[in-house]
This record gives sequence, structure tokens and C-alpha cells, in this order.
Amino acid sequence: METKTELMDRRDFIGLAAAGLGALSLGMRGCNSPRAVAPSDWVHVGVIGVGSRGQHMMRMLLRVPGVQITGLCDIYEPRIAEGRRVTGEQTTAYSDYRKMLEARDIDAVLVATPLGLHAEHVIAALDSGRAVYGEKSMGRTLQDCNRIRDEVRRTGKIYQVGLQFMYAPWYREALRRIGEGRIGQVTQMFSCWHRNNNWRRPVPPDGGLQLERLLNWRLYRELSGGLLAELGSHQINFANTVFNAMPESAMASGGVDYWKDGREIDDNVHAILRYPGGQTLEASYITTNRLDGAQERVFGTGGSVVLTHTEATYYEEPWYPNSAIPPEMKIEHKLITGPTYSAEQPYHGKGDSPSKGSADDVDLRACQGFIDCIRNHRRPLADENAGWSEGVAVALCNRALEEGRKITLSEFLGSAAS
Amino acid sequence: MGTEFTLYLDSADEVRAQACFDAVFDEIDRLESTFSRFRASSEISRLNREAGDGPMVTDPEVFQLLAAALDVSRKTEGVFDITVGQLMRAWGFSGRQPGIPDAQTLAAAQECVGWTNIELDPEWRTVEFLRHGLEVDLGGIAKGYAVDCAMGVLRSAGVQGLIDAGSSSIAATDEAFARGWEVSIANPLDASATLCEAELGNRALSTSGVMEQSFVQDGRIYCHLIDPTALGAETSAPVRQVLQVTVLAPSSMLADALSTAMFLLGCERGRIALAQFPDCSAFWVYSGAEGIQCAAHQWPRDNFRLCK
Repeated sequence: METKTELMDRRDFIGLAAAGLGALSLGMRGCNSPRAVAPSDWVHVGVIGVGSRGQHMMRMLLRVPGVQITGLCDIYEPRIAEGRRVTGEQTTAYSDYRKMLEARDIDAVLVATPLGLHAEHVIAALDSGRAVYGEKSMGRTLQDCNRIRDEVRRTGKIYQVGLQFMYAPWYREALRRIGEGRIGQVTQMFSCWHRNNNWRRPVPPDGGLQLERLLNWRLYRELSGGLLAELGSHQINFANTVFNAMPESAMASGGVDYWKDGREIDDNVHAILRYPGGQTLEASYITTNRLDGAQERVFGTGGSVVLTHTEATYYEEPWYPNSAIPPEMKIEHKLITGPTYSAEQPYHGKGDSPSKGSADDVDLRACQGFIDCIRNHRRPLADENAGWSEGVAVALCNRALEEGRKITLSEFLGSAAS
Repeated sequence: MGTEFTLYLDSADEVRAQACFDAVFDEIDRLESTFSRFRASSEISRLNREAGDGPMVTDPEVFQLLAAALDVSRKTEGVFDITVGQLMRAWGFSGRQPGIPDAQTLAAAQECVGWTNIELDPEWRTVEFLRHGLEVDLGGIAKGYAVDCAMGVLRSAGVQGLIDAGSSSIAATDEAFARGWEVSIANPLDASATLCEAELGNRALSTSGVMEQSFVQDGRIYCHLIDPTALGAETSAPVRQVLQVTVLAPSSMLADALSTAMFLLGCERGRIALAQFPDCSAFWVYSGAEGIQCAAHQWPRDNFRLCK
């Protein structure tokens, strides 16, 4: 199956790209001045979508030596002034992205528009010959993801999807340890991204419904993939990588149950994804309690790893005779026994949190990687294959959510062909 | 930034109000993750790790805040200094019990201090620390800058409100609550007594005082606001002890930085320095032999009490 092969390739690539990233960060230290960057190596970036995420990524790009933002495109005019504050220059502004893509002073394009517009903007930017950093999720629908992947392959241009946690050293180290069998055979994953807010952006009082739907596009079906796309994509991508496969089926449930303010997107979503190796990802997204925050818990027969946005913590299971981990690796939790001790009690002790490697911001690392790929003609770690398997898995879950039933990947992929 | 931000806003629509709260606190989170030296992934931490090795490019926002901080240093005889972190540690104001450090510790810390060791190159937007071990701590200016940015969020959302960062930096939109917003400046020795009042409008207010973090030894108050230019000069302890300074400025960023600087300069030198900052005013509170004494420079309303 083509999908499987691509993922295998991707996993092999992790090792290669890791070497590239290591060289990159070593090479950067002590020569972070743009003065040292040859004029031919300067990367001029045009930005489509200058909202909060776009502005954040612009700041990150501007911390990479030899990067200049030379075009700002947004249909909401106040964003241009905000974007110029970020660049500190009177950066050329556009309201039509096609005009920006005609400009000669742009080498690469950052697409940070609403999800439903990713395909249109990414494809146009690739077609214009530019390297593209496209925010996640790759596309809102299976068709969008297919079109972007095909365009990357047709043009041969660099495309990096905004799955920045792929560049986080503690995630990479976790993948390495999981790959070495350090937590035994991984059978289950649980991920959550729990917030306690209404996920709304303030709209100026005279904005009207049109501006409400533009600024709060995440809340409306036309352009949004909801919590699964905006938050779940990182975690579903991580599960795809851990299990080295796409989910073979998904089921999901959710609703607008608390924030009944006219939104169309569910304020809570729970999904179960089954993988071909018999593994499961259980994913939960809520907007009414933040106790558990954002985390991924990977459960193996020999141990567990819990990943957050800042670190990874490892826990070992008590060794038992049929454990997948070899006996010489056994390390048991220190159990405190007492009258109330029960083997079924959750483990509350400390885990092992090794150094996470580079402390740099993961978005900055993703931007450094993108610019490095452009200069050195490298394939990004978060390439179109990573983006496609993430984007399609998210779209599969969203289809299951809409239809309220379990949907298999083959049915879902077939639906695009028919 | 190690402080508590409180937002008051005026909206008839609860959903909109909630969206504004979230947007303001998202912005403050963003700035915390950029400027906090306690977060390893912040841009300031990255500069602290690597700018001693050579020039580093940073984004314009960080560069501009560093430039603003150095501008205040330049105009305040260097008493406002964002490299004072090692000294703060030596005096124990960064965690452990504060106390007078021994001469060796003080000298070692002093080696790593000095705003003139930060080289900013606007042409390439680079930051370089000319001395290894130098560390930048924007705590004295980033809090005010965060208030300014939060005000910007309120303005672009078209909502009126007031932001209070730990009661030391306060700013309000022009028409907060349909009128000028009056702020009382309390007696640092008796919070129930008001020394004077100021009206916020287009201006931001910041207060620095000994009451935040300080200790007393041999009859002298040592506080967390350290003058890096007076190191080791224990003999030059001021005759009059500044207890509190309040500054009104066009931006919270400036008010924040200047309140520290005016505290350290005192009234006489402070007035001279303040002349370089248009539209800024200061109000000093001292403890003297006769009790509380006050002094002011360009204070907008002549309404202070207890003042001599």
C-alpha cells in the first residue's frame, strides 16, 4: 500500500534529517549574524495570512539569520499594520495573494490562512515556484490534502507543514527510545488538549457577521476542521509516527454542548483511531477544563512516556515474565505499600525526565529547518508525506464525527476516487 | 514576568468580554514566553545562552525592547540596567534569602554586569554581549511593555478597559468606564492613606518601592532595586531614603523602566534625567527625619498631601 511505504520512508528519513538538524544547530552557534550570510543565501518570505499565528511565525523566521519578510498579504486590512509592526518595516502589502506571488522579491511563502484556504494558497505558491511553509493541518479535506501532495510532487518544490513538534528534541528522543523498545511494545496512546476558554477572538463592535466569521473562522464549518484539526493534528501526527502507519479506522463523538453561542464547530470532541498493528489512539479535546492540558501518553508493555509541550517523562512498568522488555532492563517503580495499597492504584511517583536537548523554541527550530532546507536543497522533516498522513487522518476523524459512525481509511480514500 | 495581571473591562456583551479576556491573556502569555528569563525556550534565554559567543539576529520586537532599555540606561546615568541579574542573585533577591553578599561574591557578580557590554547593531538587527556571563533580565521593562501590548489588544477589539500588573504598572484605555480613571497613590507606610491622585487617560502609571522586596540591616533598608553604578559604595548611603516612586509616562514600558530609574536616582538627579523624557512625571516618597516627605517633577495635578 502506497501510504505504508511513504510512512516507512518517512521513518527512515527521521534519522537522516536528525543528522541534518544537529549539524544545523551546531553550525548556528556563534555565527548567528546575518552579516555572515551570503547575499545569495538570503531568503525573502511573503506571508499569506497575517493573523496571530502568521505573526508569531514571522517573528520566528526573523530570528533566523538571513531572512527578510518582503510581502504581507491579508484581506483584513488591520492585519497589515500589525504585520508591519512585527517586521519593523514598511513591508509591501497585498490584499490579493496572486499579486504577491507575481512579485520578484519573494523566494518562499508562509501560508497561515484559515484551514479551508490552505490548498488554494499553498498550491498557488508552489505553482509560482516558491518554497512553502504551510500551517497545519495540511488541508481541510482529503481532496485538499491530495491536491497539495500532488502539487509538491509535480513542482518538486520544498513544502514544509507546520507540525513543529516534529522538530522538538524531546519528541525525537522519545521516538528513538520507543523505536529501541525501551517501553516495550506500544499498544495504546492517549492524547488530550484540554482548554478552558471559549476559543473566540474578539471582533470589533462594528464588524458585523462577516467579520465575525472571518476572525472566528475556527468556529465555522466552512473553513475550519475544528478541535481535531487545530489541536489534534499534532497529536494524531505523533501517533502516526509512533505506530509508523495511518489509522485504519476512526470513530468520534462530540457536540456544541457548553459554548452555545452560534458556533458550528463542536466544543468537545473525542476520537478513537485504530491502527493496523492493533494499536489505538484515544484522543480528547475539550474547552471547559484544563486540568490535563495538552499531553500525549504512550503506553507500552514495559513502560510509558508522557509528552508535553516542554518535556518528556518516562515511567517503567513493573517487570513481569512475559513483558516485551528484556529482564535486564527491568526497573520497577518504588511502590509504597500500606493498608490501602492496591495494585490498581494509579502511579503517582516521579518519572524520569532526561534533558530535553536544545531548549530553543520548537517553532524557531521548525523555521530554522525550513530555511536550511531552502538553502541546502534538503527535504523537510515535516514534508508532504507527513502532512498528508496527518491531514488525511484528521479529515477521516472529522468525517467520522460528522456521520457519527466508524469509518475505515479504505472507505474514506475510496470516497475521494468515486 | 513573575507578576499578576488583572484586567477590568467594560462590555455589555459577556461573550465578547470573555473573548477579550482570552485575547489579552494570550498576548501576555506570548510576551512571557518571549521575554521571561525563567523559560528556557524564551528568546531572552536564547540570547543569554548564545549572545556572548557573537552577534545574534533577533526579531524586531525583541530588538526594539532591548534598544528601549539601553536608551533608558543611557539617559539615567546607567542606574537602570537590564544586566543587573547576577547582582540580584548575589544579593539573594532572585530566590534565596536576601542579605549583604561578601566582597568576593559581589566582585564576581559585578564582572557580569554592565549595559554598555550589550552591543546592538540596528543595521543587521543583531545583539551581542561583549562579556561572557552577561545576562539580560527585562523584568524592569517587559512588564510595562506587556501592559502596552495588552492595551493594544483592547483597542483593536474596540473595548474599554484597565490593566493592572501587580499594582505596580497600570494603564487604561482613553475612555475607560466613560471617564478618566483616577488612581490613588498610597502612603508606602500606611496603605490606607492616600498621598496623591493621578488621572489615567493617555498615560500609564508605574510605581516602584521598597515595600516589594527588601530587608533592613543596621538601620538601612536594602531593596531589590539595585544601583549597579554604586557598587561597593556602602558609604554613600543616601541621607534620605527613597521609599517609593510613581511615574506617569506615555507608555507603560517607559513608566515601568523610569520608575526603577527614578527610585535609584532620587529626586535631584532624577529631575535632571527626566527632562530627557517628554511627557513624563515622577512623584517621590522619602522617609526623612520628619517622617514621610514627598517631591514631584511635572506632576499633572497639584494635589499632594503630607508633602514638603
